[in-house]
Amino acid sequence: MTIDTASPQAPHSSRVLSVAVRLREANMFMVLILAFFIGLVAGGILISFTTPDVTSSWSHFFSHPGYTVGLTWDTVANAYSQLFQGALVNFHDTHQMFQNPNKANVAQFLTPIASSLTYATPLIVAGLGLAIGFRSGLFDIGGQGQILAGGLAATWAGFTFHFTPVVQVAFEILVAVIVGGLLAGFAGLLKAYTGAHEVIVTMMTNYIMKLVMGYLLIQPLFALGLIHDGQSKSILPNGQLPQFLDHLSPTLALNFGFVIAVLAVVAVQWFFNRSKTGFELLMVGQNSEAARTAGINVKRATIITLSLAGSFLGLAGMLQVAGVTHYMDPTFGGTYGFDAITVALLGRNKPWGVFFGALFFGFMYSGGHIMQASTNIAFSLALVIQAVVVFCVATPAVVIELFRLRDTGKFAITGGAK
Amino acid sequence: MKLELRGITKTFGSLVANRNINLVVEPGEIHCLLGENGAGKSTLMNVLYGLHLPDAGEILIDDVPIVIDDPKDAVARGIGMVHQHFMLIPVFSVVENVILGSEPVKPWPFVDYRASVAKLLELSATYGFDVNPDDTIEDLPIGTQQRVEILKALSHDAQILILDEPTAVLTPQEADALIVVLRSLKASGKSIIFITHKLKEVLAIADKITVMRLGEVVGHTTPAETSETGLASMMVGRDVHLTVDKKPATPGDVVLSVSDLHVEDDRGLTAVKGVSLDVRAGEVLAIAGVQGNGQTELVEALTGLRAVTAGQISLLGNELAGHSVPQFLEAGVGHVPEDRQKHGLVLSMSIADNLVLDQLDDPRYKSFWGRKLKAIRENGQRLLEDFDIRAQSESVPTGTLSGGNQQKVVMARELSRDLKVLICAQPTRGLDVGSIEYMHRQIIANRDAGVAVIIVSSELDEVLALGDRIAVMYDGAIQGIVPPTTSREDIGLLMAGAHIDKGALQ
Repeated sequence: MTIDTASPQAPHSSRVLSVAVRLREANMFMVLILAFFIGLVAGGILISFTTPDVTSSWSHFFSHPGYTVGLTWDTVANAYSQLFQGALVNFHDTHQMFQNPNKANVAQFLTPIASSLTYATPLIVAGLGLAIGFRSGLFDIGGQGQILAGGLAATWAGFTFHFTPVVQVAFEILVAVIVGGLLAGFAGLLKAYTGAHEVIVTMMTNYIMKLVMGYLLIQPLFALGLIHDGQSKSILPNGQLPQFLDHLSPTLALNFGFVIAVLAVVAVQWFFNRSKTGFELLMVGQNSEAARTAGINVKRATIITLSLAGSFLGLAGMLQVAGVTHYMDPTFGGTYGFDAITVALLGRNKPWGVFFGALFFGFMYSGGHIMQASTNIAFSLALVIQAVVVFCVATPAVVIELFRLRDTGKFAITGGAK
Repeated sequence: MKLELRGITKTFGSLVANRNINLVVEPGEIHCLLGENGAGKSTLMNVLYGLHLPDAGEILIDDVPIVIDDPKDAVARGIGMVHQHFMLIPVFSVVENVILGSEPVKPWPFVDYRASVAKLLELSATYGFDVNPDDTIEDLPIGTQQRVEILKALSHDAQILILDEPTAVLTPQEADALIVVLRSLKASGKSIIFITHKLKEVLAIADKITVMRLGEVVGHTTPAETSETGLASMMVGRDVHLTVDKKPATPGDVVLSVSDLHVEDDRGLTAVKGVSLDVRAGEVLAIAGVQGNGQTELVEALTGLRAVTAGQISLLGNELAGHSVPQFLEAGVGHVPEDRQKHGLVLSMSIADNLVLDQLDDPRYKSFWGRKLKAIRENGQRLLEDFDIRAQSESVPTGTLSGGNQQKVVMARELSRDLKVLICAQPTRGLDVGSIEYMHRQIIANRDAGVAVIIVSSELDEVLALGDRIAVMYDGAIQGIVPPTTSREDIGLLMAGAHIDKGALQ
């Protein structure tokens, strides 16, 4: 239907009213805010059901209702307060810093945020890589394997060569990007020329890389020595990413990798918005038939997409090993490759969306650990809140129904013929 | 069963899709609802079928007001709908599709297939349908699939059948067969609401005609009282020229020369069997034929999309066979594909982006620093204006446009390049009268500007109106090339594979 709308909406409605109307609208911003709200409420309910003090106080609910409600509220509020302080800024340390701004206090003040950003750094880059695939219509599930591949390549380069610092780091990036890109690009090649589904192939490479890593780490080339079974040699100091704030305190961890991650976000933003190749990949992702008709080589695009995605994941592995661990052991990579899928989803595959999605994961990670250390509440609660938020963002329909938001057609909920 | 709609109004935001619609359908009547795309026909039928609640007005069945707020409700009241895009499960059999949603369960929990098959056979015998209950849907031709949809509605004891543009997906033969089916349904007392924008069909089968424009009923009439031109002007709101005004062609040199072309289809069978053609600058070569006689594969070969197994394609002396799509584009081949949504456009992208889809390397739209977004936007604004594309702006997703405007986007894009050959496959399929008129004018204007034009169409009217020469394709080969003065009957015979004495034609 052609809709020529010059909508004659009431022009006199006050600004307050229009803001109120906007808040009832089903837009991404509202969905996000409400998703966080739902996550916090769900977490609060879980806390009150799993904390022994709180549950036992409910048996006295009728005799001391104020006490019960107060205790529940205090417990939940305290947990969230710790979560927040562990993720961003500690109130006490902030106060200390303003009282006495010496190095130690500034370092203390910056500790939680630095820890969150450090955790988020590889996740940003890995999320970007997967988002490139998702937007181009390919599902790279092999993030974990590609991170390991990039990490191994960077580690090898890092302990083998003795270049000057900048060159050494650049060289590590180069090999990590190439190895990650080749690994995923291989899946792209199979997809393009044999039709093998990229999900299956990339998923298999996860297992392959896990075993390859296990094997390499006990080989003389990588292994540190017999007593350190399964631990690799360390990247030489020249090849480690410089710490930003180590003049404040040597334990304050925030390395140059975060800057590289931000640059990567900008690069991907440019790639999709302005570059010809990025536009072609988007075309193939949205409608590969139309792309072919417009003269685009879809096979080539498939290989480029997966190689590019793998390169970013390889870079993520490099940032982790060169910036944080400096060596590899069998636990390297954690669940970054899988978390990155969720991060890409949370960020709706938009570069800055991925950035903030990864930061959210970083905040929940650091905050969750502080919360666990200073209250009786387990770290898993942070993961529960995280999961609920992701669920709500992935299914806006639930949020829109729950809060009776006005459907503006931005999300296809009321499926119609048109 | 008598159906009456009284004062139906339905708005979506600020758009009035239906305004005060009145409509009466008597028992045993074929009632055609005619209107351009976006006139509000589908909305009205969705109101009737319970998919939308009207803002005002009422629905009466046998003079009793009722409320329909759910398609199940509509079905229970004897209203059946056959959508333009079938709601069938491709891997299920005919009988499974017919009983889907109302399976007779006896004894619980088993579905009583035998009774279902018996009922289906009885129904199809009553109305003269020829379907095998055990056939799988995906193996059936489109026309038969449509009959399954109709059977499904009838099996729910529908008294009123709504058919939404039923002939849009059919070949001319299938459309004729459908009309026979509809007549037999009418004879048994069913009412039929037939939504279409094809004028010939309306005149052929309607008992009554209601014409809609911009959400309002602009008139009721009958085939006896009106003509194609009369209906077209009612629909569009102004006088429409159904014939194409064109001067005689002044053909120049041969631009595209195809010789002994062989092409395989997706299954590896030879679909184009030794086609030879010459197209000259400034002429329109129309390729007629029933769908599926190799036209699709021929067009794909001529645009580089499909590999050629043998033969030559030479454009101004340069051999193009075996080259890639970008090389065809570079050589000046313009392509308006058969299925604009599938092959011509990326619906989720903006109009401006779609207008440069195959021109990404053009220095006007790309520099060393990347795509020139401003230039692309300005090009979009300009073409929106030049080609009269009705859209809010050049930045809205192309999927929000009507079919006619989408086709204009494809056409505008192709014509904005420097073309030697323009190949249009089904250029007006699914378009309304106004848009068809516009497309035809554009095609002729390009012919007159010296472009060699190839039109592939299964609409005989279109072929006759546009072609300076008409090539008829049958079974992958050119059955004959005839002048546009040839009678419809003779072209029909060629389309059916008959050989005609060439001397008699020329």
